[in-house]
Amino acid sequence: MNNTKSKTLETQDIINKTRATKKQDSFSTKSGERVGVFICRCGGNISDTVNIQELKSSIDANFVGEFENLCSINCRRHIREEIIDQNLDRVVIAGCSPLTHLKTFQNYADPLNPYMVEMVNIREQCSWVHSDKEKATKKAISLVQAGVEKVKKAKALSKIISRTEKSAAIFGGGISGITAALSLANQGVKVTIIEKNPTIGGFMVKIGKVFSPEKLAEECSLCILNPIINDVINHKNIKIMTKTRLLRAGRRSSYFNLILEKDTSFVHEDRCIACGKCADVCPVEVPDEWNQKMTMRKAIYKPFSQAVPDVYTIDVENCIQCGKCEKVCNMDAIDFKLKSEIISLKSGSVVIATGHESYDLTKRPEYGYGRFDDVISQLDLARILGVNGPTLGKLQKISDGKVPERVVMIQCTGSRDEKTDGKRYCSKVCCMVALKHASIIKDKYPDTEVVICYTDLRTVGMYENYLRYVQDKGIKFIRGRPGEVTKINDKLVVRVEDTLQRKPMEIETDMVVLSEAIEPSEGTMELAKKLNVGLSQDLFIKEKHSKIKPANTDVERIFVCGTAQGPKDITDSVSQANAAAAKVSEQIKCGTEAEPPVAVIKNSLCSHCGKCIEICGFKAVYRDEEYISIDPMACRGCGACAGSCPEGAIEIKGLNDQELFAQMDGLLSDKKEGEVRILAFLDNVGYTAADTIGNNRVTYPESIRIIKIPSINRLMPEHITYAFDHGADGILLAEYPDECMLEAHKAKIQELSDYVASKGIASNKLRFYKAYAPHFRGLAKQFENFNQDMLAEKGK
Amino acid sequence: MKTIPDKNILLFKSCLVNVEYPGVESSTKYIFDKMGVEYFIDPNQSCCTGLGHYYDLFDQISTSALSARNFALARKSNHENIVTLCSTCYAIMKKSINLLNSNKKARDEINGILERAGLSHMKYNVGDLDSEKNVFHMVEILYSKVNEIASNIKKDFSNIRIASHHACHYCKVYPEDAITGSRNPMILDEIAAAFGAEVVDWYDFKKATCGAGFSQRFANRDLSLSATADKLMALEGKADLLLHMCPNCQMQLDRYQPVLEKELGRKLNLVHLSVAQMAALGMGADPYKVLGIQTHSVPVEGLLEKIKDI
Repeated sequence: MNNTKSKTLETQDIINKTRATKKQDSFSTKSGERVGVFICRCGGNISDTVNIQELKSSIDANFVGEFENLCSINCRRHIREEIIDQNLDRVVIAGCSPLTHLKTFQNYADPLNPYMVEMVNIREQCSWVHSDKEKATKKAISLVQAGVEKVKKAKALSKIISRTEKSAAIFGGGISGITAALSLANQGVKVTIIEKNPTIGGFMVKIGKVFSPEKLAEECSLCILNPIINDVINHKNIKIMTKTRLLRAGRRSSYFNLILEKDTSFVHEDRCIACGKCADVCPVEVPDEWNQKMTMRKAIYKPFSQAVPDVYTIDVENCIQCGKCEKVCNMDAIDFKLKSEIISLKSGSVVIATGHESYDLTKRPEYGYGRFDDVISQLDLARILGVNGPTLGKLQKISDGKVPERVVMIQCTGSRDEKTDGKRYCSKVCCMVALKHASIIKDKYPDTEVVICYTDLRTVGMYENYLRYVQDKGIKFIRGRPGEVTKINDKLVVRVEDTLQRKPMEIETDMVVLSEAIEPSEGTMELAKKLNVGLSQDLFIKEKHSKIKPANTDVERIFVCGTAQGPKDITDSVSQANAAAAKVSEQIKCGTEAEPPVAVIKNSLCSHCGKCIEICGFKAVYRDEEYISIDPMACRGCGACAGSCPEGAIEIKGLNDQELFAQMDGLLSDKKEGEVRILAFLDNVGYTAADTIGNNRVTYPESIRIIKIPSINRLMPEHITYAFDHGADGILLAEYPDECMLEAHKAKIQELSDYVASKGIASNKLRFYKAYAPHFRGLAKQFENFNQDMLAEKGK
Repeated sequence: MKTIPDKNILLFKSCLVNVEYPGVESSTKYIFDKMGVEYFIDPNQSCCTGLGHYYDLFDQISTSALSARNFALARKSNHENIVTLCSTCYAIMKKSINLLNSNKKARDEINGILERAGLSHMKYNVGDLDSEKNVFHMVEILYSKVNEIASNIKKDFSNIRIASHHACHYCKVYPEDAITGSRNPMILDEIAAAFGAEVVDWYDFKKATCGAGFSQRFANRDLSLSATADKLMALEGKADLLLHMCPNCQMQLDRYQPVLEKELGRKLNLVHLSVAQMAALGMGADPYKVLGIQTHSVPVEGLLEKIKDI
C-alpha cells in the first residue's frame, strides 16, 4: 500500500484508473428471471385503499408476499430469506416511492445487484391519490405487474467509482489561490501554483491594510499574508511557477493535461540572490505597476521588497539588452539567451483563482481620471496610504505634494452602471474599502475632511458595525452619484445631487477618489475559454450552482474561488478557496461514485462527429487524444447525446430500452375497452411533484400511469410509437427546465412533436409540461385535464 | 466599426435644417459631391415627425406610419441607405424600423393605416430594412472618409480651437451603434483634427445637454437656458468654434447665445457650425451660397477672417 502511494506521488504520469467495483453477479445468473414481489401494507396507508388480497392473488411472479411495514429492519431478514429460499434473482417492492426508500430496499436485497430491485409506487401514486378502492386495486395490480415485467429486463450494473489523480493546478497566486494551495498541500496533494505575474500575492500585497469589522480596526495586510506566503514557499507539496500561463488544456478521464508557457525573465531564478546590483546599473526606467505607476522602476527589478519568489526579473518588453546588468551580476544569474519554456503538467484537478481587474476609469471621462492629477482610484489611494508606497504612507496630493484639506470619494464608479461600458452588478467591496481608507485618513490627518458620495451603503451583516465606527470619526456622507468632476479656479469640483435633500450641489475639493468597480480579467476569460469553462452573463467564471455548488464550475474537476467568480472581499475569497480545496480533496480522498443512469460510448461505432459534445449542457462529453469520452461523474444519463448520435454509438446504462418497453407493456396490457390510459413520463423533479400530490392527498384520475425517466431526452420516437401502438391514449412528458439543457430540451420537444405530426397523431395526444417540485397542484391539474380531454375524444 | 455606405444613399431632409440652417443640407451635398458619395434627395419624402413626437403631439404609431411611407420611398428609388442630417431623424428612423420588424401588432396596425390611405403598395414587410445597416447620420459618412479629407483641404484651420457638441439622440438612444461610443464621443473631434484644427477635447459640461429638451425650451425656459449657459460659459475663452451634428442643438446654442450675451453684457466669442458646414468650408465652399452663414444668429464672419487659404 505504502509503495503504491509513494509511487503515485513520485510519478506524475500515473493516471488513476476508473475502478469499477465488481459485485458478484454469479448468484443471479444461474437461475434467471425469478421474480419475487414484496407488498407493503404500510400500516394501512396502502391497504386501506388497495385490496391487498386481490392484489396478491393477481400478480404473476415466482413469489408474492405481503408485509405490514416492509421498510422496518426486521423485514430485511424476510426479504433476504425469501431471496435465498425461493432462489429469487429479481425483486419488486410494491410500496412507497423509490425517492423515499429505494436505497433501503437495495440494501435489504443485498445479495442481489442493486439494479435488480424495482420499486413500484402504490402509495404516493396510487393509494394516496385515488379513493375508489376497486379502481385503485385494479391500478395497483397493473403497476405491480408492469414492475415485474420491467425488472425481468433489468441488467446488473456496477456503480462507477472514479479516482482523481492526487494533484492540483491552481491558476492564480493571489490570496484565493494561495489559500486553496496551502489547504490542499497540507492534505498531501501535490499543488502547482501558476501565476502570470513575476510574484505571487495578488491584490492583497498591494492594498496596505485590510478592514477588520470584529476588532473595529485596520490591520496590516502584508503582516497577515506574509506568514501564509512563507508557508507556501516552504511547503514540500507546493511548486510555484511565475510568469507562466496556460497555452492548451486536454481533458482526460482522471486528470487534465496542461501545456504551460513560462516566459523568460533572462534570469536564472536559482542563481539570483536578489542583491539588487543589476537594478542599480539598469538605464531603463518605466512606470512601476506595484505603485500604480506613481513611481518608476528599472527594466530589471524585484516587484517589491517582500516579493516571492525573492528574485529579480527582467521586463522583457522594455529591456534594451544593453548587458550592463549581466556584467555586474556576481552570480552569473543573467543570461539573455534564456528562452521561454513550454512545460507539460498533468493535474487531477484545476482551481481557477485568477482574480479580477480594476475597472478602467478612463471609461468614465466625466470624472477626469487621467485628466486631473488629483483624481485617483481607491487602489491608488491604498498605495499612497501604504507605508511601503510612493509617499511612504503620507497622504499627499500628486499635483503638489500637499496634504489635501478635503477628500471626496465617489462610490460605484463603473459599478451598478447600466450605461454602455458600465457594470450592472455591485462590486461588493467598495463601500468597505472607502470606509477603511476614510478611517485611516481620519486617524492620521484629523483636519482632513472626508466626504463619501454613495448610491447605497452596502455594509451587510457585521460590517454595519464598522460603518458606525468610521462614521463616528466624523466622515460626511452624501447620498448621490456625482455627475462630473471638473476644475474651477485650480480647485477640483464635484457636482452631485444630494438625493436626500433633493438638492444639486458643487463640492470644492483637493482630491477625488473613485471607487473603481471590480471587473472580470482578460486572463480569466482566456483561461475559461481554454478549459471550456462557462462564464456568467457578467463574464466572471460561472459557478455550477450559486447556492449549493458555489466552488464548482460547469466542468467536472475544475473549481473556482475568489474574485475570478465574482466580486467579493478577502473573507469571502478565503472561504470559497477553502471550499474549493475541500471539493478537490473530497474527490481525491474518497473517489466519487457515479450512479447509473450514465451514458457510455462504444468507441468502435463512434465516428468522432462531436454532436454529443455540442448537445451536452453538463459538459460530460469531451474529446481526449483518441476518443470522445463521457465523464460518468458529470453525466446525468439524460440521453440527449444518445438521441443526437448518428451512429447509435451511445448507450444509456441504467434504464435500457427493454425495461422501458416492458414497463409500458405492463402499464397498458390490462386496458379495457372504452378505458383511457395516459402514460406520464416524469423526470426526477416531475416525479417528486407527483409524489407531493400524493403526500397532500390531492386526487387525480386512475388513468394516469407514471414512468420515471432521467430526462425526456431519453425518449426516442420509437418509444412514443410503442406507447400509442400498445393502447396509450395520451402521453405526457414533464421535466424541470434545467437551464444548461434548455436547447437540447427544445430540440427534443420539436423532434417528438414533428414525429407525432408525421404519423398523423393528433397533437393534443402528446403533451409537454414544465415541472416544478413545489407546483404539484399544477401537475395534478395537467393530469386531470389530459384525462378529461381524452375521455371527451373517446365519447366522440 | 460598422460598415458605412457611400452609395444608394437617401439624403433625408430635415425640417429644422431646412427652416433654420439650410446651409447644412447644401454643405452636406457639397462634401458628398466632392467625395464621390452617391445620394438622392426625394421630394416626396415626408417629415420624420420627431419634433412633434417629442412634443407629445404624435404618438409612436403615427410616427412610425410616416416612417414606413418614407421607407417605401427609399426602397422604390433603390436608395435604401437613409442618411440623416439631424440626430432626431436618425433615432426616429432606427426606432421605427425596429418596431416594424419586431412588433407584429404595431406592424399590422401601421400597414392597415397605409391601406386605408390608399397606400397599399407602401406596406412594410419584416426585414425590409435593418436599423443597423440602413440608417446613418451624415457625420458617419464623413467620418468613414476621414482619411481622404487631407487631399481635399483648401483652408488652414490650424489656429482655430474647435470644441464639439455631440447630439444626445445620436449617442444616447442607440449607444451601441454610435461610432466612438457614447460615454466619451469623439467623432466630431476626430473629424475636426483631420481638418488640422486645434481640438479642445474635454471641457466642462462637454457631455451636458444643449438645453433645448424639445418642449423644455418653452415650458421650462429658465432651466433650459441655464443649461445652455453652462455650456457656453464653460467654453468662453477656450474655443473659437463649437461643432454641431444636430440642427436642434445648433439652433439652441446659436440662437440663444445672443440672449445670454445680452444678459452678461459681453460677447462670448464662440461661433457655431455644423460639422458639414465646417467640412464644406475646409474644402473651399462659399460661406454664403453653400454654408448659408447668413442664417446664423452669431455672426460667423469673424471666424472666417482667421481662416486662411492653404
